[in-house]
Amino acid sequence: MEFKEVVGRRRSIRFFEPDKPVEREKIQTILEAARLASCAVNAQWLRAIVVERDNLPEEKLNQLKTPVAALTLDLAPVHIYFFCDLGTVTRNKGGPLKELIDVGALAPSHGWSHKFVDDFVYPQILEPMTKNREGYLAAAVADCGGAAHQALLTAFDEGLGACLNTPNPMLTKQVLGAPDDWVSIWVMLLGYPAESWEAGGQRPRPPFEELYFEGDANTPFRRDPAVVERLKEAKMIQAPAPLPGRKEEIRKLIDRLGLPE
Amino acid sequence: MDLAKPIEEYAAVQTWFDGLREQWGEEPSNKESKLGLLSDFCGLVEKDPDAIVAECSREVDGGKRIRIKARRIYTEKIDEFQNSIDAGRQVRGRAGNTIRSFMIHNGIFMQGGVQG
Repeated sequence: MEFKEVVGRRRSIRFFEPDKPVEREKIQTILEAARLASCAVNAQWLRAIVVERDNLPEEKLNQLKTPVAALTLDLAPVHIYFFCDLGTVTRNKGGPLKELIDVGALAPSHGWSHKFVDDFVYPQILEPMTKNREGYLAAAVADCGGAAHQALLTAFDEGLGACLNTPNPMLTKQVLGAPDDWVSIWVMLLGYPAESWEAGGQRPRPPFEELYFEGDANTPFRRDPAVVERLKEAKMIQAPAPLPGRKEEIRKLIDRLGLPE
Repeated sequence: MDLAKPIEEYAAVQTWFDGLREQWGEEPSNKESKLGLLSDFCGLVEKDPDAIVAECSREVDGGKRIRIKARRIYTEKIDEFQNSIDAGRQVRGRAGNTIRSFMIHNGIFMQGGVQG
Protein backbone atom coordinates (compact mmCIF):
# COMPACT_ATOMS: atom_id res chain seq x y z
CA MET A 1 0.00 0.00 0.00
CA GLU A 2 1.25 3.50 -0.75
CA PHE A 3 2.11 5.63 2.29
CA LYS A 4 -0.67 8.18 1.76
CA GLU A 5 -3.26 5.42 1.52
CA VAL A 6 -2.00 3.87 4.76
CA VAL A 7 -2.51 7.23 6.47
CA GLY A 8 -5.94 7.49 4.90
CA ARG A 9 -7.04 3.99 5.87
CA ARG A 10 -6.06 4.22 9.51
CA ARG A 11 -9.04 4.22 11.82
CA SER A 12 -9.35 3.25 15.46
CA ILE A 13 -10.70 -0.26 14.97
CA ARG A 14 -12.84 -1.44 17.88
CA PHE A 15 -14.41 -4.59 16.46
CA PHE A 16 -11.83 -7.35 16.00
CA GLU A 17 -12.14 -10.96 14.89
CA PRO A 18 -11.54 -12.39 18.35
CA ASP A 19 -10.37 -15.81 17.20
CA LYS A 20 -8.27 -14.92 14.19
CA PRO A 21 -4.63 -14.92 15.25
CA VAL A 22 -2.10 -12.32 14.13
CA GLU A 23 0.98 -13.69 12.39
CA ARG A 24 4.14 -13.29 14.47
CA GLU A 25 6.03 -11.73 11.53
CA LYS A 26 3.44 -8.96 11.35
CA ILE A 27 3.91 -8.21 15.04
CA GLN A 28 7.66 -8.07 14.52
CA THR A 29 7.21 -5.77 11.52
CA ILE A 30 5.18 -3.39 13.68
CA LEU A 31 7.89 -3.36 16.35
CA GLU A 32 10.60 -2.86 13.71
CA ALA A 33 8.73 0.25 12.53
CA ALA A 34 8.61 1.65 16.06
CA ARG A 35 12.34 1.11 16.44
CA LEU A 36 13.08 3.18 13.34
CA ALA A 37 11.04 6.20 14.43
CA SER A 38 12.58 9.62 14.84
CA CYS A 39 13.85 10.09 18.38
CA ALA A 40 15.20 13.13 20.22
CA VAL A 41 18.88 12.77 21.19
CA ASN A 42 18.61 9.18 19.93
CA ALA A 43 17.55 8.25 23.45
CA GLN A 44 15.17 5.41 22.44
CA TRP A 45 12.70 5.71 25.28
CA LEU A 46 10.08 3.40 23.80
CA ARG A 47 9.69 -0.11 25.18
CA ALA A 48 6.95 -2.58 24.27
CA ILE A 49 5.61 -5.79 25.75
CA VAL A 50 3.61 -7.96 23.36
CA VAL A 51 0.86 -9.97 24.98
CA GLU A 52 -1.15 -12.65 23.23
CA ARG A 53 -4.55 -12.41 24.88
CA ASP A 54 -5.12 -16.15 24.99
CA ASN A 55 -1.75 -16.80 26.60
CA LEU A 56 -2.51 -14.43 29.46
CA PRO A 57 -4.15 -15.98 32.53
CA GLU A 58 -7.75 -14.78 32.79
CA GLU A 59 -7.08 -13.19 36.16
CA LYS A 60 -4.30 -11.05 34.67
CA LEU A 61 -6.39 -10.14 31.61
CA ASN A 62 -9.18 -8.98 33.90
CA GLN A 63 -6.72 -6.89 35.91
CA LEU A 64 -5.62 -5.12 32.73
CA LYS A 65 -9.15 -4.17 31.74
CA THR A 66 -10.35 -0.62 32.20
CA PRO A 67 -14.05 0.26 32.09
CA VAL A 68 -13.63 1.86 28.66
CA ALA A 69 -11.40 -0.80 27.10
CA ALA A 70 -12.69 -4.03 28.64
CA LEU A 71 -14.47 -5.18 25.51
CA THR A 72 -11.71 -4.30 23.07
CA LEU A 73 -9.22 -6.19 25.24
CA ASP A 74 -11.48 -9.21 24.97
CA LEU A 75 -11.85 -8.83 21.22
CA ALA A 76 -8.27 -8.07 20.19
CA PRO A 77 -6.08 -11.20 20.09
CA VAL A 78 -2.84 -9.23 20.51
CA HIS A 79 -2.07 -6.36 22.87
CA ILE A 80 1.12 -4.35 22.62
CA TYR A 81 1.80 -2.41 25.81
CA PHE A 82 3.98 0.62 25.20
CA PHE A 83 6.15 2.07 27.94
CA CYS A 84 8.54 4.97 28.25
CA ASP A 85 11.86 3.92 29.81
CA LEU A 86 12.83 7.04 31.74
CA GLY A 87 16.11 5.51 32.88
CA THR A 88 17.66 5.29 29.44
CA VAL A 89 19.19 8.78 29.40
CA THR A 90 21.03 8.47 32.71
CA ARG A 91 22.14 4.93 31.88
CA ASN A 92 23.58 5.89 28.49
CA LYS A 93 24.98 9.33 29.41
CA GLY A 94 24.92 10.72 25.88
CA GLY A 95 26.31 7.55 24.26
CA PRO A 96 23.56 7.29 21.61
CA LEU A 97 24.23 10.91 20.59
CA LYS A 98 27.92 10.13 20.12
CA GLU A 99 26.92 7.14 18.01
CA LEU A 100 25.11 9.58 15.72
CA ILE A 101 28.35 11.54 15.40
CA ASP A 102 30.30 8.34 14.71
CA VAL A 103 28.00 7.31 11.86
CA GLY A 104 27.90 10.79 10.33
CA ALA A 105 24.30 11.62 11.15
CA LEU A 106 25.52 14.53 13.29
CA ALA A 107 28.54 16.37 11.95
CA PRO A 108 30.97 19.17 12.93
CA SER A 109 29.30 21.18 10.14
CA HIS A 110 26.38 21.55 12.55
CA GLY A 111 28.55 22.02 15.64
CA TRP A 112 28.59 18.45 16.91
CA SER A 113 31.56 16.70 18.54
CA HIS A 114 32.07 14.03 21.20
CA LYS A 115 33.54 16.71 23.48
CA PHE A 116 30.41 18.86 23.07
CA VAL A 117 28.26 15.90 24.15
CA ASP A 118 30.53 14.93 27.07
CA ASP A 119 31.17 18.46 28.38
CA PHE A 120 27.92 20.18 27.61
CA VAL A 121 24.96 18.21 26.26
CA TYR A 122 24.89 15.42 28.81
CA PRO A 123 25.96 17.21 32.02
CA GLN A 124 24.25 20.52 31.31
CA ILE A 125 21.12 19.56 29.39
CA LEU A 126 20.24 15.88 29.47
CA GLU A 127 21.06 14.99 33.05
CA PRO A 128 19.38 18.12 34.53
CA MET A 129 16.38 17.40 32.29
CA THR A 130 15.93 14.03 33.96
CA LYS A 131 15.78 15.72 37.37
CA ASN A 132 12.72 17.73 36.37
CA ARG A 133 10.36 14.79 36.20
CA GLU A 134 7.33 16.68 34.88
CA GLY A 135 9.14 18.27 31.97
CA TYR A 136 11.21 15.17 31.27
CA LEU A 137 8.17 12.93 31.26
CA ALA A 138 6.32 15.19 28.83
CA ALA A 139 9.26 15.26 26.41
CA ALA A 140 10.01 11.55 26.60
CA VAL A 141 6.40 10.45 26.35
CA ALA A 142 5.79 12.74 23.37
CA ASP A 143 8.76 11.09 21.69
CA CYS A 144 7.37 7.62 22.44
CA GLY A 145 4.04 8.73 21.01
CA GLY A 146 5.64 9.36 17.64
CA ALA A 147 7.20 5.90 17.62
CA ALA A 148 3.98 4.25 18.70
CA HIS A 149 2.12 5.98 15.88
CA GLN A 150 4.68 4.73 13.39
CA ALA A 151 3.91 1.23 14.71
CA LEU A 152 0.21 1.95 14.45
CA LEU A 153 0.40 2.92 10.78
CA THR A 154 2.46 -0.18 10.08
CA ALA A 155 -0.30 -2.34 11.53
CA PHE A 156 -2.67 -0.97 8.89
CA ASP A 157 -0.06 -1.42 6.18
CA GLU A 158 0.08 -5.08 7.22
CA GLY A 159 -3.68 -5.39 6.68
CA LEU A 160 -4.52 -5.40 10.37
CA GLY A 161 -6.75 -3.20 12.47
CA ALA A 162 -5.60 -1.46 15.63
CA CYS A 163 -6.45 1.18 18.16
CA LEU A 164 -4.58 2.85 20.98
CA ASN A 165 -5.97 2.85 24.50
CA THR A 166 -4.70 4.17 27.81
CA PRO A 167 -4.31 1.35 30.31
CA ASN A 168 -4.24 1.64 34.08
CA PRO A 169 -0.56 2.58 34.48
CA MET A 170 0.13 1.02 37.87
CA LEU A 171 -1.71 -2.24 37.19
CA THR A 172 -0.09 -2.59 33.77
CA LYS A 173 3.39 -2.31 35.26
CA GLN A 174 2.53 -4.72 38.03
CA VAL A 175 0.82 -7.36 35.87
CA LEU A 176 3.48 -7.30 33.16
CA GLY A 177 6.46 -6.99 35.50
CA ALA A 178 7.78 -3.75 34.01
CA PRO A 179 10.87 -2.22 35.68
CA ASP A 180 10.50 0.79 37.97
CA ASP A 181 11.94 3.19 35.39
CA TRP A 182 9.22 2.36 32.85
CA VAL A 183 6.12 4.50 32.60
CA SER A 184 3.06 2.95 31.01
CA ILE A 185 1.79 4.94 28.02
CA TRP A 186 -0.59 3.08 25.74
CA VAL A 187 -1.76 -0.31 24.75
CA MET A 188 -2.15 -0.94 21.03
CA LEU A 189 -4.92 -3.46 20.50
CA LEU A 190 -4.28 -5.45 17.40
CA GLY A 191 -6.09 -7.96 15.24
CA TYR A 192 -7.97 -8.50 12.04
CA PRO A 193 -10.94 -6.16 11.84
CA ALA A 194 -14.38 -7.71 12.16
CA GLU A 195 -15.73 -4.50 10.68
CA SER A 196 -15.07 -3.43 7.11
CA TRP A 197 -11.77 -1.63 6.60
CA GLU A 198 -13.66 1.63 6.04
CA ALA A 199 -15.07 1.25 9.58
CA GLY A 200 -17.74 3.78 8.79
CA GLY A 201 -15.48 6.32 7.08
CA GLN A 202 -12.83 8.82 8.09
CA ARG A 203 -13.54 10.31 11.48
CA PRO A 204 -14.70 13.91 11.95
CA ARG A 205 -11.93 16.47 12.27
CA PRO A 206 -12.05 20.23 12.88
CA PRO A 207 -11.62 22.39 9.79
CA PHE A 208 -7.98 22.47 8.56
CA GLU A 209 -7.65 26.23 9.00
CA GLU A 210 -8.68 26.04 12.65
CA LEU A 211 -5.73 23.77 13.38
CA TYR A 212 -2.81 24.98 11.28
CA PHE A 213 -1.29 28.42 10.78
CA GLU A 214 1.47 30.12 8.91
CA GLY A 215 3.78 32.89 10.06
CA ASP A 216 1.93 33.45 13.30
CA ALA A 217 -0.86 31.95 15.32
CA ASN A 218 -3.47 34.27 13.84
CA THR A 219 -3.00 33.42 10.17
CA PRO A 220 -4.62 30.17 9.09
CA PHE A 221 -2.59 28.04 6.70
CA ARG A 222 -4.41 28.40 3.40
CA ARG A 223 -5.76 25.05 2.25
CA ASP A 224 -5.34 24.57 -1.48
CA PRO A 225 -8.34 22.65 -2.90
CA ALA A 226 -6.12 21.24 -5.68
CA VAL A 227 -3.93 19.55 -3.06
CA VAL A 228 -7.02 18.19 -1.38
CA GLU A 229 -8.12 16.70 -4.69
CA ARG A 230 -4.71 15.09 -5.20
CA LEU A 231 -4.85 13.58 -1.72
CA LYS A 232 -8.30 12.22 -2.46
CA GLU A 233 -6.90 10.54 -5.57
CA ALA A 234 -4.07 9.11 -3.47
CA LYS A 235 -6.72 7.83 -0.98
CA MET A 236 -5.26 9.79 1.91
CA ILE A 237 -8.39 11.89 2.22
CA GLN A 238 -11.33 9.53 2.07
CA ALA A 239 -15.09 9.70 2.43
CA PRO A 240 -15.98 11.05 5.86
CA ALA A 241 -18.02 9.15 8.43
CA PRO A 242 -20.74 8.15 8.57
CA LEU A 243 -20.73 6.08 5.42
CA PRO A 244 -24.09 4.72 4.29
CA GLY A 245 -24.86 1.41 5.95
CA ARG A 246 -22.69 1.98 9.03
CA LYS A 247 -25.56 1.46 11.47
CA GLU A 248 -26.52 -1.78 9.74
CA GLU A 249 -22.90 -2.90 9.93
CA ILE A 250 -22.76 -2.20 13.67
CA ARG A 251 -26.07 -4.03 14.13
CA LYS A 252 -24.67 -7.12 12.43
CA LEU A 253 -21.52 -6.99 14.55
CA ILE A 254 -23.63 -6.63 17.69
CA ASP A 255 -25.64 -9.72 16.73
CA ARG A 256 -22.63 -11.78 15.71
CA LEU A 257 -20.48 -10.96 18.72
CA GLY A 258 -23.30 -10.78 21.26
CA LEU A 259 -23.00 -7.17 22.36
CA PRO A 260 -25.54 -4.69 23.75
CA GLU A 261 -27.47 -2.53 21.26
CA MET B 1 -40.95 -6.92 43.61
CA ASP B 2 -44.05 -4.98 42.52
CA LEU B 3 -43.31 -1.75 40.72
CA ALA B 4 -45.34 1.31 41.73
CA LYS B 5 -46.42 1.94 38.14
CA PRO B 6 -46.20 0.31 34.71
CA ILE B 7 -42.52 -0.13 33.88
CA GLU B 8 -42.71 1.85 30.63
CA GLU B 9 -43.76 4.94 32.61
CA TYR B 10 -40.44 5.21 34.44
CA ALA B 11 -38.27 8.06 33.16
CA ALA B 12 -35.24 5.77 32.84
CA VAL B 13 -37.19 3.41 30.60
CA GLN B 14 -38.30 6.29 28.40
CA THR B 15 -34.71 7.53 28.24
CA TRP B 16 -33.62 4.02 27.20
CA PHE B 17 -36.13 3.79 24.38
CA ASP B 18 -35.41 7.37 23.28
CA GLY B 19 -31.72 6.42 23.16
CA LEU B 20 -32.45 3.35 21.06
CA ARG B 21 -34.56 5.43 18.65
CA GLU B 22 -31.81 8.05 18.37
CA GLN B 23 -29.08 5.44 17.87
CA TRP B 24 -30.82 3.23 15.35
CA GLY B 25 -33.27 5.65 13.72
CA GLU B 26 -36.21 3.34 14.22
CA GLU B 27 -38.67 2.16 16.85
CA PRO B 28 -37.00 -0.26 19.32
CA SER B 29 -37.63 -3.89 18.43
CA ASN B 30 -39.11 -6.48 20.82
CA LYS B 31 -40.27 -3.86 23.29
CA GLU B 32 -42.37 -6.27 25.33
CA SER B 33 -39.51 -8.71 25.67
CA LYS B 34 -37.13 -5.90 26.68
CA LEU B 35 -39.56 -4.61 29.28
CA GLY B 36 -40.16 -8.10 30.60
CA LEU B 37 -36.45 -8.71 31.09
CA LEU B 38 -35.95 -5.34 32.74
CA SER B 39 -38.87 -6.05 35.02
CA ASP B 40 -37.33 -9.38 36.00
CA PHE B 41 -34.02 -7.66 36.67
CA CYS B 42 -35.77 -5.05 38.83
CA GLY B 43 -37.22 -7.97 40.78
CA LEU B 44 -33.76 -9.47 41.28
CA VAL B 45 -32.24 -6.25 42.62
CA GLU B 46 -35.46 -5.07 44.27
CA LYS B 47 -35.21 -1.61 42.75
CA ASP B 48 -37.27 0.21 40.14
CA PRO B 49 -35.60 1.38 36.89
CA ASP B 50 -35.21 4.99 38.01
CA ALA B 51 -33.67 3.92 41.31
CA ILE B 52 -31.15 1.67 39.54
CA VAL B 53 -29.93 4.52 37.35
CA ALA B 54 -29.96 7.00 40.24
CA GLU B 55 -27.86 4.64 42.32
CA CYS B 56 -25.18 4.48 39.62
CA SER B 57 -24.66 8.22 39.30
CA ARG B 58 -24.45 11.33 41.40
CA GLU B 59 -24.59 15.06 40.82
CA VAL B 60 -21.45 17.05 41.61
CA ASP B 61 -20.34 20.58 40.85
CA GLY B 62 -19.86 20.60 37.13
CA GLY B 63 -22.14 17.70 36.24
CA LYS B 64 -22.89 14.06 36.68
CA ARG B 65 -20.46 11.37 37.83
CA ILE B 66 -20.75 7.63 37.64
CA ARG B 67 -20.55 5.84 40.98
CA ILE B 68 -17.91 3.23 40.23
CA LYS B 69 -18.80 0.96 43.13
CA ALA B 70 -22.51 0.92 42.29
CA ARG B 71 -21.74 0.26 38.63
CA ARG B 72 -19.52 -2.66 39.61
CA ILE B 73 -22.28 -4.08 41.78
CA TYR B 74 -24.80 -3.80 38.93
CA THR B 75 -22.33 -5.27 36.46
CA GLU B 76 -22.12 -8.32 38.71
CA LYS B 77 -25.90 -8.36 39.18
CA ILE B 78 -26.39 -8.38 35.41
CA ASP B 79 -23.99 -11.33 35.11
CA GLU B 80 -25.92 -13.08 37.89
CA PHE B 81 -29.21 -12.28 36.14
CA GLN B 82 -28.16 -13.68 32.78
CA ASN B 83 -26.62 -16.77 34.37
CA SER B 84 -29.86 -17.47 36.21
CA ILE B 85 -31.80 -17.82 32.95
CA ASP B 86 -32.43 -21.42 32.00
CA ALA B 87 -31.47 -21.22 28.33
CA GLY B 88 -28.50 -21.44 25.98
CA ARG B 89 -25.49 -19.10 26.12
CA GLN B 90 -26.75 -16.82 23.36
CA VAL B 91 -30.19 -16.34 24.90
CA ARG B 92 -28.63 -15.64 28.28
CA GLY B 93 -26.19 -13.24 26.70
CA ARG B 94 -29.00 -11.40 24.95
CA ALA B 95 -30.88 -11.08 28.21
CA GLY B 96 -27.86 -9.61 29.95
CA ASN B 97 -27.22 -7.29 27.04
CA THR B 98 -30.80 -6.01 27.24
CA ILE B 99 -30.10 -4.78 30.76
CA ARG B 100 -26.68 -3.43 29.71
CA SER B 101 -28.41 -1.53 26.91
CA PHE B 102 -30.80 -0.02 29.48
CA MET B 103 -27.85 1.14 31.57
CA ILE B 104 -25.84 2.41 28.60
CA HIS B 105 -28.63 4.54 27.16
CA ASN B 106 -29.09 6.02 30.62
CA GLY B 107 -25.48 7.18 30.53
CA ILE B 108 -24.01 4.43 32.69
CA PHE B 109 -20.99 3.31 30.65
CA MET B 110 -20.76 -0.44 30.75
CA GLN B 111 -19.13 -3.25 28.75
CA GLY B 112 -20.21 -6.83 29.16
CA GLY B 113 -17.76 -8.70 27.01
CA VAL B 114 -18.43 -10.99 24.07
CA GLN B 115 -21.63 -12.93 24.64
CA GLY B 116 -21.95 -14.43 21.16
